[in-house]
Amino acid sequence: MSNSKLCWPTPNGRPGLVPTLSLLACILLLVISAPAVELDLGRIITAIPRMLAFAGNLLVLPDWEYLPILAKNILQTIEMTFLATSIALVISLPLGILAAKNTSPHPAVFHATRNLLSLMRALPELVWALVFVSAVGLGPLPGIMALSFVTVGFMGKFFAESIEVVDQRQVEGVVAQGASWLQLRTFAHFPQAFPDFVGTVMYVLDHNLRAAAILGLVGAGGIGYDLVMAMRMFDYDRLLPIALSIYIVVTLLDRASDHFRMRMI
Amino acid sequence: MAKIIIKDIGKRYANGFEALKGVSAEIAAGSFTVILGPSGAGKSTLLRTINGLETPTAGTIQIGEQVVTQNNLREVRSQVGMVFQHFNLVDRLSVMTNVLTGRLSHRSWLGSLLYLFRRTDLDLAHDALIRVGLTEKAWNRADKLSGGQQQRVGIARALAQQPRVILADEPVASLDPVASEEIMGLLREICTRDGITVVVNLHQVELAKRFADRIIGLNDGLVVYDGPASGLDRVTLSRIYSRNGDQVDEQLETMLAYA
Amino acid sequence: MAEQIIERPALPKKPFNPTSVWLSGWLALIWLIIFDLELSFETLLYGVQDIFEYFSRYSRPNFEDLSRYVELLGQTLATALWGSTLAIVVAVLLAPFAARNLSPNAVTYRIARELLNFMRAMPDLLLALIFVAALGLGPLPGALALGVHTAGFLGKFFAESLERVDNGIYEAVTATGASRVQLVMYAGWPSIQREALGYMLYIFDRNVRMAAVLGLVGAGGIGLALHDTLRMFNYDQSAALIVVILVTILTIDYLSTWIRGKLN
Repeated sequence: MSNSKLCWPTPNGRPGLVPTLSLLACILLLVISAPAVELDLGRIITAIPRMLAFAGNLLVLPDWEYLPILAKNILQTIEMTFLATSIALVISLPLGILAAKNTSPHPAVFHATRNLLSLMRALPELVWALVFVSAVGLGPLPGIMALSFVTVGFMGKFFAESIEVVDQRQVEGVVAQGASWLQLRTFAHFPQAFPDFVGTVMYVLDHNLRAAAILGLVGAGGIGYDLVMAMRMFDYDRLLPIALSIYIVVTLLDRASDHFRMRMI
Repeated sequence: MAKIIIKDIGKRYANGFEALKGVSAEIAAGSFTVILGPSGAGKSTLLRTINGLETPTAGTIQIGEQVVTQNNLREVRSQVGMVFQHFNLVDRLSVMTNVLTGRLSHRSWLGSLLYLFRRTDLDLAHDALIRVGLTEKAWNRADKLSGGQQQRVGIARALAQQPRVILADEPVASLDPVASEEIMGLLREICTRDGITVVVNLHQVELAKRFADRIIGLNDGLVVYDGPASGLDRVTLSRIYSRNGDQVDEQLETMLAYA
Repeated sequence: MAEQIIERPALPKKPFNPTSVWLSGWLALIWLIIFDLELSFETLLYGVQDIFEYFSRYSRPNFEDLSRYVELLGQTLATALWGSTLAIVVAVLLAPFAARNLSPNAVTYRIARELLNFMRAMPDLLLALIFVAALGLGPLPGALALGVHTAGFLGKFFAESLERVDNGIYEAVTATGASRVQLVMYAGWPSIQREALGYMLYIFDRNVRMAAVLGLVGAGGIGLALHDTLRMFNYDQSAALIVVILVTILTIDYLSTWIRGKLN
C-alpha cells in the first residue's frame, strides 16, 4: 500500500456511511426534481443579455411627478406593517400563554392552541390576502387582516417557546408567595420572557414589512401594486425608485432591529 | 531542535496598555523553559508573540535561523506547536481529525476542502496519539473527553506538526492536580526524548521548580529573574510576584509556602 | 407589632417608569394610522358579516383535478428544493467573507455583508417578477428568485454563527500554520454544524410556503392554479387547492420540527 494514498480520517479511510448516504440522497432528489423546475442552463445563459439590458433600462431619470405618490404608498406600507403587527401582538400574547407547556391551563388547551397557531401560519400572507380581497374588497384593510392573521400564528408560537424556557426556580419563588394563576403568569413568566418577546417583535416587524411590500400584488394595499404595474407597463422611470425605496426602508428597519436586539442582550 | 531569540520585545495594545516593556531572552535549543509570573504580567502576550498570534510593537523574534515576520507566519507556525489553557479543540470533530489539524500546513487547499489526508499524515497522527496514550479514543468526539484527556489531544495535535518548538500557555490551569502532573510530565518527556524546545507559561511555582531547566520570571512586562530553577528563593519570588514595585501580592505567602 | 415605632429610612426616589409613555405613544400612533388609512369599522363589520357567508362558499372542495394539483404541487416542491440548494451554495461561499473574524480584510467583509443585505432586502416576489421578465414563465425563475433572496438570510445566519465560535478554537487551528480556507473548513463549519443544519431546514420550510404563491407572478407551481380558480370564482376548486397546499405545508412543518428535534 502506497503511503501517500489519500484517505479520510475515519477508521477504514473511507468516507463515513451517514454523510455519504445523506449526500447521495440529496443529489438524487435534486436530479429527480430537475425536470420539474425546467432547469435549463442554456436558458439561463441566453437570459443574461436580457438581464443586462433590463439593468441598463433601469438607469433612467426617475419620474419626478410620481415621487410624492411613491412616498405616500411607502408610508402606507409601513403603516400597514405597524398596525398588523400591533393587532397580532395583542392577540398572540394570551394565545402564547395558552400554547406554552408550563403556563397552559390544560394539556388539551395546549394542543388545541398549538395546532390552531400552526394552521394560522401555514398559508402565506398572499394567499390570505387573495381570499380577504375577495371578501372585503380592495385596499389596505384585507392586507392588514391577512398580515395580522398569519403573524398571530408565528408570534404566538415564538412567545410560547420563550415562555417555555424561563427559569423554573424564579417561578417557584413567586409560587411560594401564594400568587394566583394570572399573577404567576404576569409576574413570574412574563418578565423573564420579555427580552425574547422584544426580539420576536423586531423579527416579525422585519418580516411583515417585506410581506406588506408585496401584498399590493393582489390589490391588498401598499407599494406592491405600483411595483407590479410599473413592471408590467415597463415604466422603468418608476421601477427603480420603487425598488430603491423598498430596499432602503427594509435595510433601515433591519439595522434598527439588529441594533435593538444587541442592546437587549 | 531550534533556539529562540527574543530581542527587545515590546507590546502596546490599541487601548494604550503596555503588556511588554522590552523583553529579551535567548532560549537554548532542546531546553525546557518556564515563564513564571502573576496574571497580567505579560506571560501570555510574550508566548503569543513567538508564533505571531500577537504582533509585537517593538523588537524581533527569531526561531532557529528564521526571523518571524508578517510574511512567513504560516511557515513559522507550521514548525511551532501550541498548547492552550482551554485546550481549544474543535468539539464536533473526532479526536483523530483534531490531531490531523496539526498536519494542515502540509495539505493542499483542495484536499482540505474534501477533508482528505495522506496515509502518512494519518500515521503521524496515530503515532502522536500513541505518545499521549489515547489511541483507543481516536474515533470519539473531542467534546466527550475529560479535561486531562482533551489536553493530551491538544499535545498530540502539536506533536503531529513535527514541531521544532512547543509553546504551552498555562496548559494545566484548568486541570486538577493529578492531570496537571501528567500533562507537565508529558511535556517534559517530549522535550527530553525528542529534543523539542519547550516553553511553558505557569503561575504555579512548585510545578515550575520541579520541571523547568530554566525559569524566566516576568512582572509588569519586564524580566525580573532569569536563571535555573534552583535559584528561586524568597527574594526572587517576591520580586516576581510583587505588585507596583514594593507592595507584596496576597498570593505570595501561599506561593512561598510551596517554595 | 403595630405599636413598635421604627425609624423607617425613606425609600430612594422611585425611578421614572417609561412604560406608560411608551404605551400611550403606541396607542396614539395606532389611532393616527387607522385615521390615515381611512379604515372604517363599518366596512370591517359588514365584511365580517359577509365573511361567514363568503367562507361557506369554500365548504365543498372539488378534488376532480387532484392529479393535476399533485403534479403542480410536485413542481412547487421542486422549486423550493432547487431554490434552497442555490441559497445554501451561495450562502456557504459568502458567509466566511461576511464573518468579521474570518474575512481576509475589512473591505471583503463590508462587500460580503452588503451583498447579503441587498439580497435579503429584495422581496422574492419582486425578484421573481424580474426573473420571469428575463427567463419567461415557468418554475425556473421562481427557483432563482427564492435562491437569491434566501441566500441573503442564510448567509447572514451562517456568518453570525461563525462569529460566535470561541476565538480560541480559531487561534488553535491558525497556530498550526493552517491557511484561511483550512481555518474555515476545520474550525468554522464543524463548530456550527448543528446550527447550520437547523437554519437550512428553516429556509426550506419557508421556501415551500413562498413557492406556493410564486405562481401569482407566473413563476410556476400551485399558486398560479389557485390564482386562476379564485379569479373565476371557482370556489370548489379553490377550496381543494387550499386544502392540498395546507396539508403539504403542515406535513413539511411537522417533518422539519421532527428533524430539528433529532438534531438536538
